[in-house]
Amino acid sequence: MRAFFWTLASRVRGIFRSRALDDDFDREVAAHLEMLTADNIRRGMTPDEARRAAVLRFGGPAQIKEQQHDDRGLPFIETTLQDVRYALRSIVKYRAFSMVAIATLAIGIGAGTAVFGIASAVLLRPLPYQDPDRLVRVFETNPLRGWTRNIASPANYADWKKQNTVFTDVAAYEQFSSNGSGAADVFLTGVGEPQGLKALGVTGSLLSVLGTPPLMGRTFTDDETFEGKSRVAVIGYGLWQSAFAGDPAIIGRTIALSGRTYDVVGVMPRGFFFPGRDVQLWLPVAYQPSVFVNSRRPHWLGVVARRRPGVSLPQAQDAMTSIARGLERQYPDTNTQMGVRLENFHDSLAFEPRPALLMLSGAVGVLFLIVCANIANLQLGRAVTRARELSIRRALGAGRGRLVRQLLTESIVISAAGGVLGLALAVAANAVLARAAAAALPLFADVRVDRSVVLCAVALSLIAPLVFGVLPALASSAPERLSDRGATSSRSTGALRSLLVAAEVALSIVLVVGSMLLVRSLLRLQDVDPGFNPDRVVAFTLTLPGARYPNQQARLLAYSEIERRLREQPGVQSVGASSTIALRGYTWTGDSTVEGRAQTDYERELRHQSVTPDYFKTMGIRLLEGRWLDDRDRVGQPLTAIVNESLAKKYFRGADALGKRITYGRPIDKSPWVTIVGVVADAKQDGLDKAAQPAVYNNIAQQMQTPLTFVMRTSVPTDSAIAIARQQVGAVDKDLALTEVTTMQAVVDESMGDHRFRTTLLSAFAGIALFLAALGIYGVLSYFVSQRSRELGIRLALGAKRPALFALVIGQGIRPVVTGAIVGLVGALALTSVMQSLLFGVQALDPPTYAMALALLGTIAITACAVPAFRATRVDPLVALRDE
Amino acid sequence: MGESKSEILQGTLDLMVLQTLEAMGPLHGYGIARRIEQVSEDALQLNQGTIYAALLRLQQRRWISASWGTSDNNRKAKFYAITRAGRRQLAEETANWSRIAGVIGRLLRLSER
Repeated sequence: MRAFFWTLASRVRGIFRSRALDDDFDREVAAHLEMLTADNIRRGMTPDEARRAAVLRFGGPAQIKEQQHDDRGLPFIETTLQDVRYALRSIVKYRAFSMVAIATLAIGIGAGTAVFGIASAVLLRPLPYQDPDRLVRVFETNPLRGWTRNIASPANYADWKKQNTVFTDVAAYEQFSSNGSGAADVFLTGVGEPQGLKALGVTGSLLSVLGTPPLMGRTFTDDETFEGKSRVAVIGYGLWQSAFAGDPAIIGRTIALSGRTYDVVGVMPRGFFFPGRDVQLWLPVAYQPSVFVNSRRPHWLGVVARRRPGVSLPQAQDAMTSIARGLERQYPDTNTQMGVRLENFHDSLAFEPRPALLMLSGAVGVLFLIVCANIANLQLGRAVTRARELSIRRALGAGRGRLVRQLLTESIVISAAGGVLGLALAVAANAVLARAAAAALPLFADVRVDRSVVLCAVALSLIAPLVFGVLPALASSAPERLSDRGATSSRSTGALRSLLVAAEVALSIVLVVGSMLLVRSLLRLQDVDPGFNPDRVVAFTLTLPGARYPNQQARLLAYSEIERRLREQPGVQSVGASSTIALRGYTWTGDSTVEGRAQTDYERELRHQSVTPDYFKTMGIRLLEGRWLDDRDRVGQPLTAIVNESLAKKYFRGADALGKRITYGRPIDKSPWVTIVGVVADAKQDGLDKAAQPAVYNNIAQQMQTPLTFVMRTSVPTDSAIAIARQQVGAVDKDLALTEVTTMQAVVDESMGDHRFRTTLLSAFAGIALFLAALGIYGVLSYFVSQRSRELGIRLALGAKRPALFALVIGQGIRPVVTGAIVGLVGALALTSVMQSLLFGVQALDPPTYAMALALLGTIAITACAVPAFRATRVDPLVALRDE
Repeated sequence: MGESKSEILQGTLDLMVLQTLEAMGPLHGYGIARRIEQVSEDALQLNQGTIYAALLRLQQRRWISASWGTSDNNRKAKFYAITRAGRRQLAEETANWSRIAGVIGRLLRLSER
């Protein structure tokens, strides 16, 4: 074993000192022969005889030297190194080719690696939990309410937890809003300046279901779910470092959050998140036990469970479905048609971005293939100019295998250079991409360069030479190829190159059609009327801590005072507030009864908002009918509401909504009547691409939901507006902090962020693809013209007209383009239909898009052909004939 | 084969080189080749060059070491010397060799009967 190791070490060293060792051995052999010759002379031979006899006795010094050389090093590696040296020389020699090849590879590999980095951050990198594959998300489904993946009610959650036998445990966390992680704002006081934090309410079992051991301390116990035992907190690593400077004695320390005190019982490790990276600490939900028995109507819990070992997801789904059926029978009032849907937890987090990420991964794969096809094409073109060099090497005894090996080594060296450059590009672009992708990715995604990203670049660099190197190496080392004067051989290479161009065109068409569909979607989306005017409106959320603002009256007073003060500030044109602002989803929904309907005929999922009367004016939401809310609509007065257009259309089925009455409940609930006093235009809620749902606006003086988000239309710059807001809020209560400070324009932009991100990326890919395809077309046609210049010259000499020659060459160049375009269109038809879910306002089979893509490609192809075609008409017959 | 001059097994040549160096002290390649020929009383006649394959093998395993020196008649030559690891190996191989030789001898005697 030792001997083997020493031998290997010595052989490796031998590779690097091969010349010195060769010289050394030469001298040793010379000395040996001299001594042998001298002995022979002493025995009486003549010097000549003696020398000959010595060589004979020694036994072929040349072979022995050769053998010794091979035994000293590792011949395989040495040959490879020799090939690499040779490759480097030829890379320098064919500089133009090498630079184009390396640059395009760098783009292909860089783009592939960058997209892989994003996709892997969302789809592949394992979640930081124990056995994350066994974690499932449990949703409520209900066709009556249009739910496919809804949050659960506490009582249903409690029954699932109690009745199931397929999970080791079930846990829940609060998800009050459809927007973001569902984390609430809390205020940490007593540690420096008061600061707003994102806290998530969880049941005692949540962190233990996830199974990540805390870095310090412990996680929650089941008991701590309930009010009375719930003043405990588990904090994240980031918060521990930022707010507490990594205090090692943090466990047991008491902290004040929004006026209540909590004992820190645990710190989670670095890299842990749940369910998004915005959440900084976890607090028990602190409910009365009765909530888990009685609250079956409202839904606000995200439910996570851990499958027992040996229970598959479908088995768990079946078991849970039968539990849901039981609950449906037991509670027909609330659970009619209420089912459950189980999803792998990771899949549930990545649900929304998945289609776009898969599409982009596919697109970047196509781009990679185009890059490879392009390089193969260039290599074939170069093979002709190299034919003489290769034929000499062959004449000197290099077999075909040896030539292929050497050509492939060249490809690998080029690919390695491209890979290194590509990885550098991907790393450099990582920060920019991560920021651009932020709006398109879920809150847990952490786009960074990790080992898998580097491995991806390495893998692509290894795959690339197989794709672009093998075919040209085989073609250019083929024996007949070595004739160097081959009309016949150039024809077969020409056919191969045309095929490659056709492939490039076909693949490009797919990308171009895809990106045009996305661009048209984005344009449609930008044209959508959001239903409000985002211009110069800043927004911020204000949470009033329950400890100091215990009742509606105190809260109303504080909010009204803040609104009044802000309104009086110079530069502020209008101020309003609402519990939910446009494009930020929704928080409260419920059943609703329209006056005069049958007992069983009622509406579901009506969206509620509490607003101050000036909210509409500030946001620029148009009044269609009736009047605005005002001071008449206060406590003690008849309940009134403004409804949106969707509600007016849907609930009243064509009749006028004004003056009609509805309740916030089912007919049997006998809720108080609310009179509709106005109808406003729809403001988009879930996104510009989603239809607005029926919604009702109440004056906060009659019905208040908190927290409120203030909107402020100003004539001053955003920064000054925010400063004004901070100052006035501080004047009312110095412990209040503004959260989610933004502008409505930013909200609108953000809502299009995912569309914009994928459109930008795919368009960039399509652009590069077109450029490469044009390069391919140009290269092949230029070669054609240079090879046929003699023929063209003869034609000219025989009286052919130059325009006819121009047309001839263009026709030659266009032929593979047409073939490729036909194949590409068929491919695009097949592939883009899976894109439908990513489109808005455009059909995947949109004929104008296809026509435009073809026109674009046609223009580019003809431009690429025109230069060589023009050159063909400039051929001087005399020169062309003399050349041969 | 049928010739009286035997082909030499690779391992055997290595063993002979080691034994030579152990017995004679540092020697150059030519000296080793001469010595082996003398000891075998010319029963073994090798292409002297093949000795270098063995010398390289042994060097790579660090059983012998090499350095340039001057020969008796004032020529530059490369001298080889056995190392400690080489001695250990030699002892092992010698034991091995005698054991196998014993076994084969017995086997041959048995089949003669």
